Amino acid sequence: MNNKNKIKVLYIDDEQNNLVGFKATFRFDYNILIAIDTDQAYNHLKAHPDISVILCDQRMPEITGSIFFEEMKDRYPDPVRMLITGYSDIESVIDAVNKGHIYRYIKKPWTDADIRSAIEEGNKYYISTSMLAVKNKELQAAYDELGKFTYSVTHDLRGPLLSVIGAIDLAKNMDDLTEIRSLLNMMDDAVKKLDEFIRNTHEYYNLKRGKLIFEKIDFNKLMADAASIFNIAGRMDNVHFISKVDQDEDFYSDENSIKIILNNLFSNAFKFQKKNGSEKFVSTNINISNGNAEIIVKDNGIGIDESHINKIFTMFYRATSDEPGSGFGLYNVKDAITRLGGTIKVESALNEGTTFIVSLPSKETEP
Amino acid sequence: MGNIKKLNFIVIDDSKLDCFIAEKVITNTGKCDDVVSFVSAEQALESIISTEQAPHLHTIILVDIQMPVMNGFQFIEAFEKLGTDVIRNYTIFVISSSINENDLKRVDNYTSVKQFLNKPLNSNVLGALLSQY
Repeated sequence: MNNKNKIKVLYIDDEQNNLVGFKATFRFDYNILIAIDTDQAYNHLKAHPDISVILCDQRMPEITGSIFFEEMKDRYPDPVRMLITGYSDIESVIDAVNKGHIYRYIKKPWTDADIRSAIEEGNKYYISTSMLAVKNKELQAAYDELGKFTYSVTHDLRGPLLSVIGAIDLAKNMDDLTEIRSLLNMMDDAVKKLDEFIRNTHEYYNLKRGKLIFEKIDFNKLMADAASIFNIAGRMDNVHFISKVDQDEDFYSDENSIKIILNNLFSNAFKFQKKNGSEKFVSTNINISNGNAEIIVKDNGIGIDESHINKIFTMFYRATSDEPGSGFGLYNVKDAITRLGGTIKVESALNEGTTFIVSLPSKETEP
Repeated sequence: MGNIKKLNFIVIDDSKLDCFIAEKVITNTGKCDDVVSFVSAEQALESIISTEQAPHLHTIILVDIQMPVMNGFQFIEAFEKLGTDVIRNYTIFVISSSINENDLKRVDNYTSVKQFLNKPLNSNVLGALLSQY
């Protein structure tokens, strides 16, 4: 067995012979660390946060095993603590058990089988409690996120809705048809924003909870699909959509995630164009080689201020109020890329444009 | 009161539609001399700093809470640092879609904020508010 997969055990005893004998007996089955005093024990604990079982002799010259456990357990609560002791120390053992300082004790003289079963049992306990701690942490993070999420969702769902209610109220008393039409256009935008937000929420959920399906990706087809959508949007706003795909090899990834990445990058590139810019463009360059896809999306739009650039991937972060946005898009992009094992970089200069560089590995095996 | 004094208005909201609605509702009250909208709180603040206020004129600010870059709370905090000579010429109303209790409580902590208003703004609410001016 590889040493890495062995159970890591720390044994503390003031007699050198016991340490050597113990290590010799169990080193094939376990990863044994030995300490002749508590200083050495602390050094091991500091250097090896993955120790799962600690065995300590009760009778040592400077400190008893039970007191050592009592002292160390707040700082290193995870390893399972076991005391090795003779019958005469039984009072202190009972005390230590009752105070929760030790998981069990091993009676002297011990047999190899005693130690083995104690380590195996202790390790099972260690794994289940540490898994519980990890799960608790995940749960807390999910709960915190849900709180933040609900706050923003309430705003982003109610906002456009209340705008439309307000607009309807106004329109009731309007007689000028031109004015009513311009109000209708604004209501249209508000409702579309709401719809975009709901779609983004759905994407977010899919990315968080959905299963990745790795299949052959045809970037030419993906770009043709995207072009058919964004060419229309581009023509309306006078933005050229240029794309170049260089794919000579098979590439495997999750198509839904890649669509989410591309769509969000494109819609941002189109959205954040200069109002009166000339020769506006969104250009995409996709290059597949050596099992890696590099996707470069470049625009000559309004760019991102240096002070915001580090925060653009944060959920609900919006760097401008010039255009409506949910603050969801780039968060989802980053999330999708991370799940696919890729990276994203951004280069931008205010008033000059923004370039996103995405790198994704081909995934030929199941996630 | 007595003689009808006209008021200036500043609307700060990142939603253009909400700005438009507020402008219309404000104009319809007939008490408005001038209304300016800003979709960015930073720009609104710059404008307040650079505008010399005529001594007899009072300006009502309607500010949204959740906005990108500078939110409503940040705006109010920055505004409150401008000094009493500036502050006394303005009255702030917070107008938001928020139903979050923390947001509502937080509004109470700012002395420069007169009241919290729920969106959407309508002429009944605004009319009642302006009856005191």
